[in-house]
Amino acid sequence: MPKRRDILAIVLIVLPWTLLITVWHQSAIAPLLAIRKDDGVEGKREAGGQAQDSKEYCASDKDIVEVVRTEYVYTRPPPWSDVLPTIHIITPTYSRPVQKAELTRLANTFLHVPNLHWILVEDSQRRTPLVTRLLRETGLNFTHLNVETPRNYKLRGEARDPRIPRGTMQRNLALRWLRETFNANSSQAGIVYFADDDNTYSLELFEEMRSTRKVSVWPVAFVGGLRYESPKVNAAGKVYGWKTVFDPHRPFAIDMAGFAINLRLILFKPQAYFKLRGVKGGYQESSLLRELVTLNDLEPKAANCTKILVWHTRTEKPVLVNEGKKGFTDPNVEI
Amino acid sequence: MKLKLKTVFVLYFMVSLLGLVYALMQLGQRCDCSEHDLPKDRTISRLRGELHRLQEQMRKSDVTKQPQKQPAKPTIFVITPTYARLVQKAELTRLSQTFLHVPQLHWIVVEDSPHKTPLVTDLLVKSGLTYTHLHMPTAKDRKLQEGDPRDNQQGVIYFADDDNTYSLQIFEEMRSTQRVSVWPVGLVGGMKYERPVVEGGKVVRFHTGWRPSRPFPMDMAGFAVSLKLVLANPEACFDGEAPMGFLESSFLQGLVTMDELEPKADNCSKVLVWHTRTEKPKMKREEALQAQGLGSDRAVEV
Repeated sequence: MPKRRDILAIVLIVLPWTLLITVWHQSAIAPLLAIRKDDGVEGKREAGGQAQDSKEYCASDKDIVEVVRTEYVYTRPPPWSDVLPTIHIITPTYSRPVQKAELTRLANTFLHVPNLHWILVEDSQRRTPLVTRLLRETGLNFTHLNVETPRNYKLRGEARDPRIPRGTMQRNLALRWLRETFNANSSQAGIVYFADDDNTYSLELFEEMRSTRKVSVWPVAFVGGLRYESPKVNAAGKVYGWKTVFDPHRPFAIDMAGFAINLRLILFKPQAYFKLRGVKGGYQESSLLRELVTLNDLEPKAANCTKILVWHTRTEKPVLVNEGKKGFTDPNVEI
Repeated sequence: MKLKLKTVFVLYFMVSLLGLVYALMQLGQRCDCSEHDLPKDRTISRLRGELHRLQEQMRKSDVTKQPQKQPAKPTIFVITPTYARLVQKAELTRLSQTFLHVPQLHWIVVEDSPHKTPLVTDLLVKSGLTYTHLHMPTAKDRKLQEGDPRDNQQGVIYFADDDNTYSLQIFEEMRSTQRVSVWPVGLVGGMKYERPVVEGGKVVRFHTGWRPSRPFPMDMAGFAVSLKLVLANPEACFDGEAPMGFLESSFLQGLVTMDELEPKADNCSKVLVWHTRTEKPKMKREEALQAQGLGSDRAVEV
């Protein structure tokens, strides 16, 4: 009888403790689970299969992978945030048959990026109706400027004179506009990025550049005759050189699409512009950056410059042979 | 030692009860870890909160804009054949960015490859789109595979090459397709645009500079077919052996006649899609380096 009582006693002692321990264990995990669930909801676009209402069929007989999501997609730009720094995108553009197509798909990309301000600068005497209408219809936050490159500096037809960089005057005008519009003392956080209208940009790129303190850099695909060009980053996370074949000894051997500048730095150094005359091919970027920053100040992004988030794509010039000399199609139809 | 059951039991019971109550109070409450956070983590959680707030704001404003439950829009099935080459990832990236703006869109990506490549698989997973990932070693006979089309599901099928440019309006134009709808395509056929000529609301001929005698002298990007029509004609497919420029005709001939075509884009007077082509990137230096065994890191996906 006493043995039984002892056993009973021991059981009654141990039971509440085991209960307590399991409950305590649960309570330690639950807050972590709550946080992770939030990650799943916010990172909807990235983490596959964590969103609500998503089904995934894996490796059926036909080896089809099908994913059904019931997410909402939007066409207007995301609402403006008071917290995120504004990204000012400077795009020089000029009239040619593919212009509307390029600007259309660029706009489709930009419509996903919060706090984006598009500064589109036309190489023309007057702002064209095509661009004016396009900008208005996108619903993006934009500034429409124009400046015509004098004939001497324009690229003539097919013959490329490498000493005359295209888009320089337009980019400089945009920089001047920024300096006239924003006060150096204002607290408006901003990042400046030069985006040509024929490149391809991933959405991740814009979030990488948002944390730029001075000048940030990353790799660019399809430039310099390579799969990609990239800054060289050492173990301490500092840029010490350039992984390029074409003139790696340039002060900044990087493509226009490979860096972003903090707006404060632009305003702080109001004399820094792209050099217009006497610039060797490939040195245009250096002509601006060397007035703003040293190699040591550069901030490497894209996982220490190991991921490609921007591609220097170029669009083929369409063959318009069937238009003939007088033009076959109705010129009133805008393309 | 003899255990005094009663006192020990009471003691442990009290302790356990207190512990249980305390634990239950802790449940459901987020742990306050702020003292362990680095400033970076604080910024991250602040930005995350901001993102969450903005998404809520967006959802709320859209709920108020659509108070009644509208009938389900017809789904647009976009079929994109693709193949591995340098610019593939870039093309699919910017294509997905356009498609993300179009509601009720189902992207069917068909790889010209014996296996599904990780590049396309990862891209599709991260895209946030509704998709079906297929692969075929040769895209000779492009048969349509719908996966699981539901019986009375309204849908439209559109063939979208991965290097073209699409405005968002074209998708809304094609959504109302009953049989086959058509519209102009920019920068194709050696001209600024090709288009069907519309008179009295019907297509009477085609304005094209290249082989206008074809049954349907238009580009793949210039028409869309209703799902119902395709399912009703299971034999209809593209003839891979057809002469150049006749691919579209080989498919449409079995489905529709010219006067049944539905003109869109303001009676085919607006260009809402462009047949852009991307240059092949110059790889001379890369090839030279590879010959020396100093090519760029293959682990970096381009």
